[in-house]
Amino acid sequence: MATTKFTKMAYDSADDLIFGEAKKPISYGLGLKVGQGSVIPEINFAPRPGSEKSPESLTKEYVDYIATDIMNRAVTLGFPAVQLENEWIFQMGNEPEKFAKPVVAGQKAVIQKFHDQYGIACAVRHTCADPRLHEQGMRFGQDKTHNYPEKMLESFEVAADAGADIVSIESVGGKEISDYAVVRQDIRGWLFGIGYLGSIDMEWLWTQIVDLAKRKKVVAGGDTNCAGANTSMFMAGGYLDKDVPRTFSAVTRAIASARTLVALECGATGPDKDCGYEGPILKAVSGCPSAQEGKGAQDAHADLMGNLIAQTCDLWSNESVEYHPEFGGSSVQCWLGVIGYEAALMNASKQMKQDKVLRDIYVASDRFRSPEGFILAYDNAYKIGQAIVEVGDNYYLRAKAAGLKAAELIKESNDKGKLKLNKQEKDTLNKIITDLNSLPDEEGKFVDWALKEYKDVPAFDPKNYEL
Amino acid sequence: MADFDSISADKILTRYDIVVESSEKPEDIAEQFMPENPLLRQIAEDVMNLKFKVIEEHVQEALKTLTPEEIIENGLLAGMDIVAELYGRGIYYLPHVMVASDAMTRGTKVAEAALGGERKYKGVVMMHAAEGDPHDIGKNIAAVLLKSNGFGIVDLGKDVLVDTVVDEVVKQKPNVLTGTALMTTTMSAFPRIANRLKEHGVEVPFICAGGAVNREYVESYDMGIYSAKAAEGPSLANKTLDGWDWKKIRSNWDDIINGKA
Repeated sequence: MATTKFTKMAYDSADDLIFGEAKKPISYGLGLKVGQGSVIPEINFAPRPGSEKSPESLTKEYVDYIATDIMNRAVTLGFPAVQLENEWIFQMGNEPEKFAKPVVAGQKAVIQKFHDQYGIACAVRHTCADPRLHEQGMRFGQDKTHNYPEKMLESFEVAADAGADIVSIESVGGKEISDYAVVRQDIRGWLFGIGYLGSIDMEWLWTQIVDLAKRKKVVAGGDTNCAGANTSMFMAGGYLDKDVPRTFSAVTRAIASARTLVALECGATGPDKDCGYEGPILKAVSGCPSAQEGKGAQDAHADLMGNLIAQTCDLWSNESVEYHPEFGGSSVQCWLGVIGYEAALMNASKQMKQDKVLRDIYVASDRFRSPEGFILAYDNAYKIGQAIVEVGDNYYLRAKAAGLKAAELIKESNDKGKLKLNKQEKDTLNKIITDLNSLPDEEGKFVDWALKEYKDVPAFDPKNYEL
Repeated sequence: MADFDSISADKILTRYDIVVESSEKPEDIAEQFMPENPLLRQIAEDVMNLKFKVIEEHVQEALKTLTPEEIIENGLLAGMDIVAELYGRGIYYLPHVMVASDAMTRGTKVAEAALGGERKYKGVVMMHAAEGDPHDIGKNIAAVLLKSNGFGIVDLGKDVLVDTVVDEVVKQKPNVLTGTALMTTTMSAFPRIANRLKEHGVEVPFICAGGAVNREYVESYDMGIYSAKAAEGPSLANKTLDGWDWKKIRSNWDDIINGKA
């Protein structure tokens, strides 16, 4: 299947980007309308340790406890719509027929029951696992030990057949190089890993997922660079962390956006994955609806853009919470309350025609809290998108352009005294700009150099990318 | 669109990292720890200044008058001690440590080639990421920090079967075993490993870490010792060399982590 590269922006101006509305809205599941004038909470969860012991115990956990609790609470609080997201645990992806099938079917039956009884709009997203090991082989027939590439695709088949409404994945192409590069502050390596190799792997993977989704009549949602840019972001952490400078993390996010976009170029329709903080850039370029997470995802992690990242979302997520009791109900019920009320706030602002005001308040809250939040603010996200589409038909050049644009935006604001940077962040930013500018304009020259430079990185095998 | 540059961020947030930013210079701190011998000092400086391209040449030069053991202990590892100090004070970031370690490894290979026999490590740490878990960046960072502290590393990799871990521990008898897991549903491999080792009559301090893992969970099974950060690895592992078993390490965990034990 051919891919269609984005060479122009879906939106005419950054100011048109707003939560709850997408240029390319989509309807699916049991009456769910995404990007059509309202924001919908997407609740994500993890089973308690030990529940994975058998298919029966896992199904009970996911269906009788988690899905049922969620739907009960959604109706109790009067939420008009809700999406469930099940990120598959290892056991589900390793034995999809045995562990995943009853879970998927059971969850669908639960939401169908509530939909039939109350009319609540709902759907379940299944995010299949990508267990592929780079050292064992990323393509079919290469991993003789585990058959992980084959199991990964089988997971989508099982999910679609058993009742998934939308499918997604957090794919890991290029991670062996980005893991190596992130701890060495090597932006050129990171660009090679995620911007180039990651994009190649995405194209291979997503053409198949989209093909399967079309055949099975489910929605091909999208991806996230959780494996790369989120690794950078969480290592960069907050003001007490000293592992990765936050300017490095910000630039990796911009590079990742050029890579995550590939799913949409292959025919995925969105909404993409909540943990893909590159979502605002993707939405600006593609017009596809976006799932995001921020302050309502403190159950899973802290970030430095809890309000800002709500600016352009269509689904508002909690990232993931382990199922357990809280004073206010089970954890999934409590966190659904958090994200559901935030969605209600956004939707109320739309009716009162104050949505752009609210959007800008979200942005103002966190715009200068970190370089990564700064470059993801919708006006800057739009500029990064423009840099991508100018060279949209070349994976290498567009990833490089995205990274460089992000670095320049950060520098410009810092020079103006607005976005503050500490010494390490400044030093790193200057090195990034020098390093990216030193790269050749020709893809072939870059790849030749990179293959030599990173040939000894553990687990890196060019064959995984047909190189 | 609002005029965002008109907003005063200082009224919304506080950049505590800038408030407490250190004005200490790395060179001034390093001076307190530098070896006196000029050849060893040069090597330690290469490590500290991330000079991985010239370090091999300097080690070769030093080998003309110094033993490989002296160079490793008092030059290369001394340099890494300085790097660790700078990292601990928040002056160096993790990438400095990783690139310094790359330099140290290059120098060490040259020195080891001149050794008569095999290098003696102060202890051996066996590491793995849990069965079903493909996330290993934390393990790899910890491996570098432990190696830089003089430990030998046996890296079993990621997504390692429980059986493989047990077999290798029984066979190779490391001083310490580590396991990392990012997912709650893969960390359940740890108690299975501990129980299987007990069946074999083996007791080994088993440091468990990773995003999904917490102290309460790790201390719910025998041998388990929690670690919140890769940087804590050397302090915990060093206690095994003092003859501490897992029970003693666990009961003194807070003091070890806080540098009081």
